Amino acid sequence: MKTESNKVIIEDLKKIRFFEGYSDKQLTAIVEMSSVKEFKVKEILFEQYDELHDVDILLEGSLSLGISLAHEKRIHLGTIEEGQLFSWSAVFSPYISTAWVMAMKPAKVISINAKQLNKKIEEDCDFGFKTMSKIAQTISHRLSDTRFQLMNQMTI
Amino acid sequence: MANNQNIYKPIKAKLTDVIEESPLIKTFVLIPEEEFSFKTGQFIELSVDGIGEAPFTPSSSPHVTDKLEVTIMKTGYVTEYMHNLKPGGYMGIRGPYGRGYPVETFFGKEVLILGGGCGLAPIRSLLYALEHVKDKLKKVILCYGSKTPSDCIYKPLFARLNQIEKFEAYRTVDKADEEWDGSVGVATTLLNTIKVDIKNSVAVVCGPPIMMKFGTIRIIEMGYTDDQIYLSMEKNMSCGLGKCGHCMMGEFFVCKDGPVFTYKELKNTPDIWK
Ligand SMILES: Cc1cc2nc3c(=O)[nH]c(=O)nc-3n(C[C@H](O)[C@H](O)[C@H](O)COP(=O)(O)OP(=O)(O)OC[C@H]3O[C@@H](n4cnc5c(N)ncnc54)[C@H](O)[C@@H]3O)c2cc1C
Ligand code: FES
Repeated sequence: MKTESNKVIIEDLKKIRFFEGYSDKQLTAIVEMSSVKEFKVKEILFEQYDELHDVDILLEGSLSLGISLAHEKRIHLGTIEEGQLFSWSAVFSPYISTAWVMAMKPAKVISINAKQLNKKIEEDCDFGFKTMSKIAQTISHRLSDTRFQLMNQMTI
Repeated sequence: MANNQNIYKPIKAKLTDVIEESPLIKTFVLIPEEEFSFKTGQFIELSVDGIGEAPFTPSSSPHVTDKLEVTIMKTGYVTEYMHNLKPGGYMGIRGPYGRGYPVETFFGKEVLILGGGCGLAPIRSLLYALEHVKDKLKKVILCYGSKTPSDCIYKPLFARLNQIEKFEAYRTVDKADEEWDGSVGVATTLLNTIKVDIKNSVAVVCGPPIMMKFGTIRIIEMGYTDDQIYLSMEKNMSCGLGKCGHCMMGEFFVCKDGPVFTYKELKNTPDIWK
């Protein structure tokens, strides 16, 4: 459950590697579609298979990402550290999360409204290309790390 | 070049301590009976009389010359025998051999080190060597991954490194246990959040072949050029002297031309990650 909500400031975005290369005008557009949300330790940000409405970037704290298998406890697959983007499923149909995310330390998250983000991506080519490239890179890293993790597990 | 005269004759070294690092890894503390020194990243052939010998990279500081530490993972015949040795016994040392890390060329730069599993053994020696010249370096960042928390070796090293000016150390595990509250994910995930001045930096990768492969690809993606990346290669070896050909990798003898190479030197060599 989200406990607090407040405004994002442009300085917050400038500290995040994901937004390197964005103009002030583009960052202002992101500020207008975002809010900061805070989560307590062990609080679930969203569950696997939840419909997602926001793309999130961790501003402070640490999050755990994992999957649940039927009748089994939660399996932790990885940690999301400060500055990392997650819940990218919110911008792609069917907008359903592929994993759950839980706060491991008190967390502050920038939540970007996915509908408004997709609208901006369609309207502003430069913004759209940058954003989609960076989301693709995030997913590509996640895929590569997962392959690496899988190969490691196979050799345990 | 070997310190001892007959290149095949080992120096006797007394085993003074055996430190259990993880269920499969132990560190052996040895006092050589003759003068012995090495450069960080070089390897030695370590033997047990009547059993055999195997190559290992010392994990201790190259600036400590009266004692040598070697961290050994139990993988087969020779290493299993070594794991059963007790303090007071003797081992043989040949070497040091090969080309280690060119630490002087790191001066004025940031050094990013990506390690996994038993790869932390040679890295520990490198970290000691870098600590020795820390005034000449900009920053040293260690990103290390182990399969589980109990597989992580040198646990106190991380806290110590984080207290040294200019040093940052991060670790992660592939699979957490109940007590682990640190990062979960493979070693490369740690690269997502570190701050490094790539243009003025070198990257060192050392670990199991899977990690070397994924790690090197990610480091190239970060913007490092092929000649900024140093790889410590492990190939089956025998003579350690460039004579038997056991360790050939493309045009290179890993024992003589390596074990430390730049990625630029190796990138066109087939099967480098095998
Ligand atoms: C330059 C160099 C530095 C090394 N440094 C270290 C170190 O610091 N710590 C450490 O624990 N190990 C290190 N190794 C690996 C170590 O040499 C092998 O684990 C050891 O030779 C295995 O011997 P064994 O008789 O116990 O295993 P074997 O019974 O011969 O074989 C068991 C398994 O180990 C593999 N293996 C055998 N020899 C080698 C080898 N030379 N390199 C890689 N895999 C091998 C075999 O393919 C087999 O899968 C290093 C290897 C090289 C080439
Ligand atoms: S080990 Fe004999 S040539 Fe390299």
